[in-house]
Amino acid sequence: MAYFMVVLLDDSRMSKIRGTGLEEKIQYMFGGELRCLNVEVSEELKDKILKEFDTARVDSRGAITDVPVAFMRELFNQVAEKKSLGPEVIEGVLAKVDEIKELAAKESEYLPPPEID
Amino acid sequence: MSRFIIERPLPHGGRLVERVITDKEVAKKMIKGCPSYEIKPTLHYETQVPVRNVYREIMSICYGFFSPVEGSMKQAEVERILKERRLLNEWIFPYPLVFDISKEDYKKLGIGPGDRLVLNLKGKPFAILDIEEVWEIDNHEELAHKTFGTPEDNPEVVKEPFNKKHPGWVIYRSLESIVLAGKYTIINEPKFKPPFDRFWYPPRKAREEFDKRGWRTVINHQTRNVPHVGHEFLMKCAAFTGDVEPCHGILVNAIIGVKRRGDYPDEAIVEGHEAVNLGGYIKPERHLVSMCLWDMRYGNPLESLLHGIIRQNMGCTHHMFGRDHAAVGEYYDKWATQILWTKGIPSFGFPAPPTDVPYGLHIRPQNMREFSYCPTCKEMAYSETCGHKREKLSGSFLRGMVAEGVQPPAIIMRPEVYKVIVKWWKHFGYPFCNEKYVINKEKELEVDLEDL
Repeated sequence: MAYFMVVLLDDSRMSKIRGTGLEEKIQYMFGGELRCLNVEVSEELKDKILKEFDTARVDSRGAITDVPVAFMRELFNQVAEKKSLGPEVIEGVLAKVDEIKELAAKESEYLPPPEID
Repeated sequence: MSRFIIERPLPHGGRLVERVITDKEVAKKMIKGCPSYEIKPTLHYETQVPVRNVYREIMSICYGFFSPVEGSMKQAEVERILKERRLLNEWIFPYPLVFDISKEDYKKLGIGPGDRLVLNLKGKPFAILDIEEVWEIDNHEELAHKTFGTPEDNPEVVKEPFNKKHPGWVIYRSLESIVLAGKYTIINEPKFKPPFDRFWYPPRKAREEFDKRGWRTVINHQTRNVPHVGHEFLMKCAAFTGDVEPCHGILVNAIIGVKRRGDYPDEAIVEGHEAVNLGGYIKPERHLVSMCLWDMRYGNPLESLLHGIIRQNMGCTHHMFGRDHAAVGEYYDKWATQILWTKGIPSFGFPAPPTDVPYGLHIRPQNMREFSYCPTCKEMAYSETCGHKREKLSGSFLRGMVAEGVQPPAIIMRPEVYKVIVKWWKHFGYPFCNEKYVINKEKELEVDLEDL
């Protein structure tokens, strides 16, 4: 089974990946209104994610969900930084696992709100 | 006049209960020399977390949302409700409502039938309870089970035995043992804090507002959620029911009370619905956001009965009901509410729908299925009419998106609604109710009181 993680893209995130070549890989939901990227996850990395984050699960599509928000935010940062959807993205996220866990522990008390107009 | 015209129903029980004294001098005389008691929240019987505050019931009773109920129920009335879902005056009603105190407090107060007890809230006189009977709950677990039903006794709709994971069951399980039964009267009107103040339409005011707006037919939308576009379409399309023309008004009535972690804050819920009309997605002339104080019992068909009573009392002609109405978990059949309103549930005392039994309701049910996005139709589509594969709008999917700080596209959530979520997110430091919000809310409540 192929595993993946969905990275949602709003206008703010779109502006950060413009010109990286990732635009061609964007998938669309809700009549094109919701844009996303699918990051591939190997069997080994999937196991690591499940081991590190006990809320994480794999849904029927093979998508890994229910990881902390800090994980998902770092996932996008890695995508934008590495300009890739390959395994190095998840590896980059897992390299920051301690930092993510620290943020995740605080997530039940505080989540930084987005800056919108 | 067409014989198909629907008239606004009378309040449940025939008249609106209004037990609010507005003259402070009269109120002062009424409480002179009476013992007083500070209202305490009901605490979870194991975790000691607040699960209910009886002040919300007193407000909803005295302003007439729960007409014809006038106070804390006597033992015989509670027993009749658990058996037949009827008050002693015959009118149908789903839940026992009681003023409960601990044995220690009861002993300290030294009160009994015939006495008047002043109920203080946040240290100020709030209401009086004229005690007619004192009785004792001897088996809390049995009361909780009987309130919601069991798979054995109510096999038509109850699928699993209730337990401590069910927040409504926990409320009844956590009641104190002594019940002071009698009528409530509010003697010091609480003042709602913003933003709740502008959504406060107790039944008399709601009916007056409908008159002012020229609304003969009004359909109610029950909510405890920030609206996404699926909700908006549900409201718009259900409103086509009406009589010889679509309903004149859509009343959004939010249930405001104790919260569960992960819910949206009440402030975001009421303002989120208001944003739908301020954004013009439903004309403000046709859409009114209001609220009712109540700590949700999540009793699916029984809760829908209470919702029907509240909204009939507010003057609505129709009420929309969906799947898993006011439900949590899988205790009830997911269509239990629609079963009640179309066929009845004999084991709950309804051999016919609540609109077709003596002393029943007059509000008309509008049972709805779901709206979701159809990429072929390129619009929100109704599950029972669209023949294409649709993309479901799930609350948890949306919550995940919001938590991540990603703005949902306008086809799923209107930008005006999202702005409201972010506004309260900034205020509370969190987009949903967390432990801090739940505890603070029960400490601060939705109201303040002035000195009497």
